[in-house]
Amino acid sequence: MNIGKSLVLLVVAAVLTYPLVPQSSDYIIHVMTLAMVYMILAMGLNIVPGFCGLLDLGYVGFYGIGAYTAGLLTIHYGLSFWVIVPLAALNGALWGALLGAPTLRLTGDYFAIVTFGFSELVVLFLTNEIWLTRGPLGLPGIQPITLNLTWLNDAWYFEFYDKTPNFYVVAILVGLVFFIMRRMEDSRLGRAWYAIREDPLAAASCGVNILNYKVIAFAISAAIGAVGGAFYARWSMFLSPDMFKFWESFLVLCMVVLGGLGNIKGALLGAVILVSLGEVLREVLSSLGLPPESRFMAYGLIMVLIMRFKPAGFFPAIASSGRSNPLLIDLQKRLAARNAPKEETRDAAT
Amino acid sequence: MLEQQLINGLTLGLIYALIAVGYTMVYGVIQLINFAHGEIYMLGAFFCVTFITAAGLPFYAAILMAILCCILCGILLDIIAYRPLRKAPRLAALITAIGMSIFLQNVALMIWGSRSRPFPQAALPPFFREKALVLGDVSLTWLQLFIFAVAIIMMIGLYLTINKTRIGTAMRALAQNKTAASLMGINVNYVISFTFALGSAMGAVAGILVSVYYNTLYPTMGYTAGVKAFAAAVLGGIGSVPGAMVGGVVLGVAETLGAGYVSSLYRDGVAYAVMIAVIIFRPSGILGKSVIDKA
Repeated sequence: MNIGKSLVLLVVAAVLTYPLVPQSSDYIIHVMTLAMVYMILAMGLNIVPGFCGLLDLGYVGFYGIGAYTAGLLTIHYGLSFWVIVPLAALNGALWGALLGAPTLRLTGDYFAIVTFGFSELVVLFLTNEIWLTRGPLGLPGIQPITLNLTWLNDAWYFEFYDKTPNFYVVAILVGLVFFIMRRMEDSRLGRAWYAIREDPLAAASCGVNILNYKVIAFAISAAIGAVGGAFYARWSMFLSPDMFKFWESFLVLCMVVLGGLGNIKGALLGAVILVSLGEVLREVLSSLGLPPESRFMAYGLIMVLIMRFKPAGFFPAIASSGRSNPLLIDLQKRLAARNAPKEETRDAAT
Repeated sequence: MLEQQLINGLTLGLIYALIAVGYTMVYGVIQLINFAHGEIYMLGAFFCVTFITAAGLPFYAAILMAILCCILCGILLDIIAYRPLRKAPRLAALITAIGMSIFLQNVALMIWGSRSRPFPQAALPPFFREKALVLGDVSLTWLQLFIFAVAIIMMIGLYLTINKTRIGTAMRALAQNKTAASLMGINVNYVISFTFALGSAMGAVAGILVSVYYNTLYPTMGYTAGVKAFAAAVLGGIGSVPGAMVGGVVLGVAETLGAGYVSSLYRDGVAYAVMIAVIIFRPSGILGKSVIDKA
């Protein structure tokens, strides 16, 4: 184990034990929890633009779907958080597949615009279907996360009103998503995605069913977004359509791009940087007497500057993993082999 | 009622068409969705009102000044944000465009505050709200006639610029093939700046017309209008200038009819739904020719 890796583990361990320190500040736990919610979102979004090279501007739609699914299931059916998370993920994946199947044939900007339109429609739906969502009034009174261990001990029934248990719940979710992402990255699935991103034509000619893999990517990404939303609903105990506007999609996209498209650790770091930067900017700008809008202005400007000077983010995918994609190398070899005989026959003809 | 709805829809549609033209021209020339175009439209309205209230200029002079300011903003936007990224991946340019949009929107929020404000009525010609034509239940105000006239004159002017002038020829050449155009001695950056200037001017006029028509302006108005205009550009076939005009009008009418006969709650939803449907079923739009994607 090298020094860098042990340093990272040390920081992670320190962060994870922080809420147990008696003098820990509620504010810092809150910010860290928020950062972890965005870590989940950033990892989920990363799949589509990072692994498949398609810009998804509607990610917040799935976040919103997950959040409202969780909120409504809690209020109306009183389901446990642990049941709701898979249900929300399933609902997210369903909508992801429904939107993805017809639209993933599109490439580039067209796809970006369709996803953008989708997220706007989700916000309109949440705002206007008052019978279901109470519309602009928002959805209050969502129960906090509970943990029912009465089958072990009659007294073990917990309601997580406190910041600390919520912190650990989201930490577990982050760990779970991270694990799944790492497994996917190195699987057949992940390699197919990389191949599609690097050269769709070459991937297709090697028998990769591009559309299927893209729909799977989109559905998984949507499911992870919905998981983030489900936690957010039970954690904040209040939802309103305003929370799921385009701005959030852009923020998560910033995290992914800042960290490095296609890099899972980059997405995690991007989330930490932008959430803490948001808090720092809030302090600094308000102490300078600037209005809260200046924070978003700064975000926009930062994004432009990153694109200008570091278009691949701070941790570009290939460089960080230290290896080129094996599937791509394989593809190049196969293509070279396929092209070579053609040249010969042409030569022979002339 | 239907006739009245059609007239209202046509008014709105012509304004959308003016903004959509700006999107489509930039897309045609550099294949970039200029997300910040909606903000230029918003700035047009705010510049105009500021010139009237703060500088005391008369209505038409304020319009002219606002157009000039927006042209400057459009050119600066291209030079500062987009030009350094000409050779970068398209994803980078698109994200930059969104970043600029958010930046400009929040600059406007800081300067002019978040509350919506009325258009200074005293500066407007007094006959604007009067009815110019009344046919049974249907009426047409002078303002609507003014919007029709301005929009149509600008469209004709644009058509002539693109098809009959040297710079227009250069724009079309650039849209066809940038490298070949530069080999023929066309100053690529100059032509792109001109395209931004032209689009920004039309966007500024649209912003002013909308704020007069609805008698309100607010810093986030560029967002929805931008999306709708983009939907119009997609509907007509992105990259095609006549397509953007047709798309704008169709979208404006569809939206007004949708709000009138289906549900006013989903007024904005019509644009998104139309856009998604068109992209799925006919990505090249009504008048567009199929383009090879260069992503």
